[in-house]
Amino acid sequence: MAKRRRIRHRLGRLSPGGVLALAILVALSVLILIPIVFTFLYSFFPKGEIEAYLKTRGSYDTTKWLDVLYAPAVFSLRQYYKIFIEDPTYLRLLCNSALYAGAILLGQALVIPLTAYALSRFTFRGRDTIFFCILILMILPFQVTMAPSVMMLRWLGLMDTVWAVILPMCFSPFYIFLLRQFMVSIPNELLEAGMVDGVGAVRGFVHVILPVCKPILGAAAALSFADCWNMVEQPLVYLANRQDLRPLSVMFNQISTEGADVAFAGSALYILPTLLIYLYFQEDIVAGIQLSELK
Amino acid sequence: MFHRKKIVWLLLLPGLAGLLAFYVVPFFGGIYFSLMDGTFANEFVGLANYKRVWQNPMFQLGLKNTWELSLLCAPVIWLLAFLLAGMLKTLRHRATPFRNILLLPYLMPSSAMLLIWTLMFDYGGVVNRMVTAMGFERVLWLEEDALRFPIVLLYIWKNVGFSVVLFASALSAVHPSLYEYASLEGAGWWTQSFRITLPQILPTAFLVFVLAWVNAFKIFKEAYFIGGDYPSTQIYTLQHFMNNKFAKLEYQDVTAAAYMFAVGVMVLFALMYMSKAVRSPSE
Repeated sequence: MAKRRRIRHRLGRLSPGGVLALAILVALSVLILIPIVFTFLYSFFPKGEIEAYLKTRGSYDTTKWLDVLYAPAVFSLRQYYKIFIEDPTYLRLLCNSALYAGAILLGQALVIPLTAYALSRFTFRGRDTIFFCILILMILPFQVTMAPSVMMLRWLGLMDTVWAVILPMCFSPFYIFLLRQFMVSIPNELLEAGMVDGVGAVRGFVHVILPVCKPILGAAAALSFADCWNMVEQPLVYLANRQDLRPLSVMFNQISTEGADVAFAGSALYILPTLLIYLYFQEDIVAGIQLSELK
Repeated sequence: MFHRKKIVWLLLLPGLAGLLAFYVVPFFGGIYFSLMDGTFANEFVGLANYKRVWQNPMFQLGLKNTWELSLLCAPVIWLLAFLLAGMLKTLRHRATPFRNILLLPYLMPSSAMLLIWTLMFDYGGVVNRMVTAMGFERVLWLEEDALRFPIVLLYIWKNVGFSVVLFASALSAVHPSLYEYASLEGAGWWTQSFRITLPQILPTAFLVFVLAWVNAFKIFKEAYFIGGDYPSTQIYTLQHFMNNKFAKLEYQDVTAAAYMFAVGVMVLFALMYMSKAVRSPSE
């Protein structure tokens, strides 16, 4: 009895509009999750079953109300076995993706916090100009920056090498902006307290700024990882003649023809890292996105 | 805050060098490049490249589609995010799980969604079931004309969460007393949202629109997954044009196309910025 009253009490605190909003958001959340859930579900279907199902998709079966498969007749892990052991095509592309993400994150970790630190905790001539340029670069569409940077990469002899994809991403203006926004808001007292102890600019960065920045660094790393994991334009253009160097994100629509079961299992494997990263970092990511408001 | 320390240039060096090398210098160098004829003689041809690209029907098609798709996605995402953020606010502390679910697709690679998406939109798929349930004719979603719908939807599915989060943080800063007063005056939810909330968060609203719009140029990704290198004319974007020009090594054309596009983007930015300044002179 007491429990039921408590539940009614909780619902009672919502206005009628709130109940409506709750209903809409619940429905929408289900809709948003459906593609992800079904990708994982279909990755456990045996080859015969999923391909027979896909063959029926072109026709419209009016005898059924909703023609959707919910559970496999036989639960299968054959396609995962194929990906990991038998035919390493997917696995190799997945490794490519992981290597790109790793290299880019490493490069960003070396460059971006330092740049953001210099732009946020120092006053020097030209600082505002540099920051303004970074803002402009941030909002320029990729189509605009791509063409000129290809000229540069060609001149440097980097086209069709992994560096063409990695190097420009290491200096991504958005993440410089994001970290700068966070560092600006760190109270000066924190640094000054360190200064009394005779901490210089570099040690202040390592011992004061970096520990305080932990949440935003996590958020930036997670967002940047998702960027790398999903990049398409860069490898398409910069690796035009080197299909073997391309990450999985670009190759999806070319290899998904070889078997629906493997394609679904590959998709599920591809989603998994970002899903785990999101579950771990979600609060930091939300806080990080909120920082991209210009203050 | 450190003043005039020489060390700052040392700290800035790697970042600045990279930005200059891969973004700033190429951007200006490309202007010179786009004015040359690109042959061995490398003669100055003025705006001839621009003229040729401008008259290319595929460029016109790509440019038109890119504008249309981005100006379709951005307002939809903007409005949807605003309404959803408002809904999240009415739920107060219960909103967190919903907000997190809304943001989840933002990190999902859309390439991995391709399979399930085509499944949903094929002729016997779930979407057509819904369409017939509502009493309409079935649609061939993955053919020529209707193709835009699944692509735009995939894009919105993926990107709306980002804008929701931005809006939600701005909404939480609006003073509650404003709503109490409005409720006393008998203003409904709709009036409150668009007459009180929106003017209060105008800078954020502007930012969300700009970001949504700039990001919408990346809809090429979704179009590429569903349509490939040479998709139907409905979803042939500027990026397709540039990629195909790259493949033919016609670099002059690519740079010329990029700068014409940049001019268009900049003009629209300026217009939006000015209209914002005009609308809120008090700020």
